[in-house]
Amino acid sequence: MNHLHLAHPHADAPTTSPLPAGAVRMLDGTAVLPLFDAEQATGVTVHDLAAHRAHFGPRRSYLGHAADTLLADMDAVELSGRGGGHFPTAAKWRSVVRAGAGGTVVANAAEGEPAIAKDAVLLLTRPHLVLDGLAAAVEVLGAREGVVWLHDGAWASARSVTRALEERRAAGEADPPIRIMLAPARYLSGEATGIIRTLEGGPTLPRWVADPARPWSPGQRPVLVNNAETLARAALLGYVGAAAYAPTSLLTVVSDTYRVVVEAGPDETFGQVLARSWRSPDGQPPVAALLGGYGGSWVRWQQLAPMPVDNAALKTVGLSVGAGLLGPLPHGACGIEESARILRYLARQSAKQCGPCVFGLPAVADLVDRLVEGRLGRRDKHSLDTYVREISGRGACRHPDGALRMLTTALTTFSDDVARHKHGRSCDAPLHSIFPLPEEA
Amino acid sequence: MSRVVPLREARPQAGPAAGPRLRLDPSVCDGVGICSHLAPDLVAVDSWGYPVVHAEPLTDKRDVRQAEAAVNACPRKALHLL
Repeated sequence: MNHLHLAHPHADAPTTSPLPAGAVRMLDGTAVLPLFDAEQATGVTVHDLAAHRAHFGPRRSYLGHAADTLLADMDAVELSGRGGGHFPTAAKWRSVVRAGAGGTVVANAAEGEPAIAKDAVLLLTRPHLVLDGLAAAVEVLGAREGVVWLHDGAWASARSVTRALEERRAAGEADPPIRIMLAPARYLSGEATGIIRTLEGGPTLPRWVADPARPWSPGQRPVLVNNAETLARAALLGYVGAAAYAPTSLLTVVSDTYRVVVEAGPDETFGQVLARSWRSPDGQPPVAALLGGYGGSWVRWQQLAPMPVDNAALKTVGLSVGAGLLGPLPHGACGIEESARILRYLARQSAKQCGPCVFGLPAVADLVDRLVEGRLGRRDKHSLDTYVREISGRGACRHPDGALRMLTTALTTFSDDVARHKHGRSCDAPLHSIFPLPEEA
Repeated sequence: MSRVVPLREARPQAGPAAGPRLRLDPSVCDGVGICSHLAPDLVAVDSWGYPVVHAEPLTDKRDVRQAEAAVNACPRKALHLL
């Protein structure tokens, strides 16, 4: 592991973007973390309970009419789920409210995506904002308890949350019951249906639900699963109100030696974000970027650079901020080879439940390996197209869809590389393994 | 034996429900394949022997009967008529 390059990539660059006057941001800088096992996030001040309360005042209670105000504010700022799905948060809360009280709210911070660290940064530096959001959701929904859902091995985050809960207890804060749960350290441990299945006594594996608006089992208590950043944003919104809320996005910019978590303003372009968060190995802008997550989309940098970090704008061109990955591919790296590695990883991280995912993804990964080796024949190409078409939309969760989205956008974005590999010539890329993949058991 | 079919819209769309839909829980399906024999008009089989079910609401009575037969015969209880 390389800890040598944890100084800020651009010491002289601004670490925050300009926001409208009066707007309140979540972070006071950009956070720099190692590729794996973040013990701390340098560049962002850690807010303990005293600092947090000095900033925002006492925790808001949402036991009465305040709940309606918060939901209305969520509608006003179009708060959406930051785990990747960007489903309207208020609509999700209301559907759980309709299902009845006595359930559980989960702050989902199991970042299965190896390249993404925004939730870890929040738990390490703004644990009380996440806990305030969790407490708010428990109160609005009339739930019985809150759960902070982490993956096994996220010890620094677990310590930070434990310390924060102790601080709140010691200060006599009137919180609902909140506990920490550890999920297996797998890519899919943050999948919402798998979390609910675990709360109901089952394994931490995704499951098929007939009605996505009621993902819990019949007769079981309702469960709201929200990404940790989403809950932190709900808390922030409750403190500052819709007018002063800054609709920013937390992006994790990944390079070959570190990850940088940036809070991007809504008018900031991806080009501006990268200029203050990424050190190019050759001083050039990247060729392309992987946006959203490992199950996201490749985009040519020329297209992405002038676009604002605004999910509504991205949606019009079929893109999404997703879970906030911004993975630039420098010149000298091969997009096809990087995609083949990521695809193989995603195939191995299947929950091994649904046939199209269990058998389909490895079959596709084999064909992409043939492509990389320049051995993809015409029949192989036909099989690849067929498999991609067959697998799409057929898992209990969206894991295979994401893997195929990453692949198909790679094949179009890197069509020149595809052509080179097809003719049996390696592209001779000098840079390899740009994207971090954990060692698998 | 497997036959490759073009996939129809796999994600059911909300709208005025004209009839029940045949739904598959792919996480419990083992690709036994009885469904594709009992409901050949509604269930195709992919390259790995797993069912691809017709996603549209079933309006034809004959389709509904086929779907019911497939639902009842599934040894994994993976099919639902909803």
